[in-house]
Amino acid sequence: MKKEIRVEDAASPVDQLIKLTVKDLEKLPPPYDKPGMEPELTDPKPEWREKYATDLDGYIAIDLPWKPQNKEEEERLIKSFLSGLNKLLTKEGNWTFLQPLLLSLEYCAKCQTCSNACPIYIMSGKQEVYKPTWRAEVLRRIWKKYCTPAGKIFGKFVAGDIELNAKTLLRLAESAYRCTLCRRCTQTCPIGVDNGLISHEIRKLFSQEMGIAPKALHDLGTVQQLKVGSSTGLTPDGVRDIIEFIEDDIEEKLGKRIKIPVDEKGAEILLIHNAGEFLSWPENPAAFAILFEEAGISWTLSSEQVAYDAVNYGVWYDDLQLARVAAKHAEIANKLEVEKIVVGECGHAHKAITVVADRVLHDDIWIPRESCMPILWDIVKKQKINFDPEKNNFPVTLHDPCNMVRLMGVVEPQRKILRKLCPQFREMEPHGVYNYCCGGGSGFAIMTSMNFPEWRNAIASRMKFKQTLEAFKDCLDPSINKYLCAPCSNCKGQIRDMLAYYKAPERLSIYYGGLVELMVNAMVDLEEPFIEWEFH
Amino acid sequence: MPISALMALAYAAFAIFVIVVASKWVKWSTMPMHLRWELYPVPHEAGRHHYGGSYIEEIDYWKKPRETTLVGELKDMFSEMLFIKRVYQYKRPLWWLTYPFHAGIYLILVWFFLLFVHGILSVYVSIPALATIVYYLIQICGTIGIIAATIGCIGLIVRRFSDKDMGKYTVGVEMFNLFFILIVLLTGIATWITYDPHFQHAMEFMKALVAFNAAYMPKLTEIAKVHVVLLCLLWIYIPFTKMSHFIGKYFTFHKVLWEDEPNIKGGEIEAKVRELTKFPMPWSAPHVDTGKSWEENVRESPKDEWGRWRY
Repeated sequence: MKKEIRVEDAASPVDQLIKLTVKDLEKLPPPYDKPGMEPELTDPKPEWREKYATDLDGYIAIDLPWKPQNKEEEERLIKSFLSGLNKLLTKEGNWTFLQPLLLSLEYCAKCQTCSNACPIYIMSGKQEVYKPTWRAEVLRRIWKKYCTPAGKIFGKFVAGDIELNAKTLLRLAESAYRCTLCRRCTQTCPIGVDNGLISHEIRKLFSQEMGIAPKALHDLGTVQQLKVGSSTGLTPDGVRDIIEFIEDDIEEKLGKRIKIPVDEKGAEILLIHNAGEFLSWPENPAAFAILFEEAGISWTLSSEQVAYDAVNYGVWYDDLQLARVAAKHAEIANKLEVEKIVVGECGHAHKAITVVADRVLHDDIWIPRESCMPILWDIVKKQKINFDPEKNNFPVTLHDPCNMVRLMGVVEPQRKILRKLCPQFREMEPHGVYNYCCGGGSGFAIMTSMNFPEWRNAIASRMKFKQTLEAFKDCLDPSINKYLCAPCSNCKGQIRDMLAYYKAPERLSIYYGGLVELMVNAMVDLEEPFIEWEFH
Repeated sequence: MPISALMALAYAAFAIFVIVVASKWVKWSTMPMHLRWELYPVPHEAGRHHYGGSYIEEIDYWKKPRETTLVGELKDMFSEMLFIKRVYQYKRPLWWLTYPFHAGIYLILVWFFLLFVHGILSVYVSIPALATIVYYLIQICGTIGIIAATIGCIGLIVRRFSDKDMGKYTVGVEMFNLFFILIVLLTGIATWITYDPHFQHAMEFMKALVAFNAAYMPKLTEIAKVHVVLLCLLWIYIPFTKMSHFIGKYFTFHKVLWEDEPNIKGGEIEAKVRELTKFPMPWSAPHVDTGKSWEENVRESPKDEWGRWRY
């Protein structure tokens, strides 16, 4: 295998461009600096190589058998790709991102200032193919060579060296799923070039033109959400059952029954959770219900298809699917005659409906939308509920979901709550808008096919694990329970996998959960602790 | 007296530069409104910029007046334009090369402007005190500018060759651009040292240009002529290349990364959305109804002839 990787190696005939081992990776802080503290990395199964794109690093994000099996299939793939690329450059095909895309293709100075901002590149031991500019430059060279007059006339002199074959496309598509779209790289660019956006646009080209996307995002993601109601597969009947179960659970903990409002017309707020919360962390919607009811907020949940699941995976790979899901959310909210949609603890859902889809909603599918964070802070600030911070007297740190913080500027409300209610709150470094992604961003957290989880935990999440260890370095003793607060479902999912991968709950007693659980845990009226210190 | 060939070239270079830059500006500014894709910190967020917050931190933000600060935006803009702040923060070793290069170019542009003012003062308006100040400023800007830009340019070329992270990504035309600038700078230095140490002839050249009169033209040496021709060609060439990133940079920051205008009911943005979603969908994946509008696609997922979902 080649050691020194260049941009043109995207087309290399080798089976796999790089192979990762644990010793290549950036070291973790104690106690993970000793050998044997983390699993070795594995090779892909030989049979996967035939049909799946293992050609980049051996890992498979796009779990579709899309590898061309003969020359004709290869030519068809290239033709479709170029057709998609041309559509990506037209206002009809890509009014949604044409200007930002062209600016980023045209003006990159290749100064590499952005590279060191990328946690994946750094923690992988600086693997060239994970550099924010690598995939961007592959696309840029293809664009120059095939789509610009200068590239067509002057060839390599202008476009650089690139060959367009099946390997190039397999690697380009996979490499777009080695970036979490956290856009930390963009913050550092002196020209404002956005390599995260280029990853997004590569994903979109493959999805919108060829229907090639990870199943978790498309078939089981947006398609299932639009067809069945939720990317989890949860149906309206299912969600109603779970809500009843949550009401029972609340009664047990609070000592009184709360009737969770569902499909109540005319409520002020339609609260939409990530449906993953109902299935994996029902204590989160329970905590919301307790807080909203105790604070006297007028709110409702919806049991109508799509509207009980805030997720919108389209934001990561497909503008049409993004718009379809957002439109459905808005349509149902208007039908319920609520004043606004409030998004629960789900980062990408925050960004999707509040920011990115802001410009696909109009007329009857327009409705105000906002984050739950300011409302939660308002409850604390105005003392609508009595809290006792001493109940949260254990080490707490905050993971900032990129979508909520860097990508939409909701930074302070959540940390104001933590400063007020958690005496041992400490920040990770860096934090706020300069945070690091949990490693599950842009859909990774829900992509569990084949060997992708290994890459996600060992590489994508590595920086977050390092930050977590550093935040708790004064209390690593396993007799002290520590709480990693992640106010985002997908981040929680990834943090759960990350902690399990490194056996952090049993070795160090590091647990994770949302923000509202901490708030309810601090409620004076609650006799028993709400947080149970169980890893699930 | 009619204008000379060199003067004609200078006029043409300036005109082409302005026209191409203007047309690029028009191209970027007439592109369709894109989806929101801002990135925080956004510097015009009054009272929140220092930690990267946005107006979305407010309950019912759409009902409240937005508090923005032009000063914040200008501060960020100028610290990037004048000091290349991000490279200083995130890639200091490169900054020591790119900063003299860019600062040198800025000073050379100021030098051109000062020559122009001096030309006006020589031909149309006589203000001797001001002319004297301008004369000394020309000496300072010209001297520092050309030295800094040349050192920076050589440094950047060496860096592109020696730093494999940069070299691997650099294509032929990008090296050509740097060498082109270097040749113009070196011929400029040669002209300055051998022929025009006090920029006297440069001032005369500009005087001829502002007066549209070749009678004022100095007698140029061969190296000076070569320098002028190359400089004019560079002026013509720059707007066609990514060296015109001074245009792109305005749009990347102001129209993408800092563009956080919300879509308010009944507002201009909503009207634009209504229009843009009328575009026909050209995409071909199974979940797209190719040819139908974005709007139709959003409202109705593609179905087969029996009304079942097609994908």
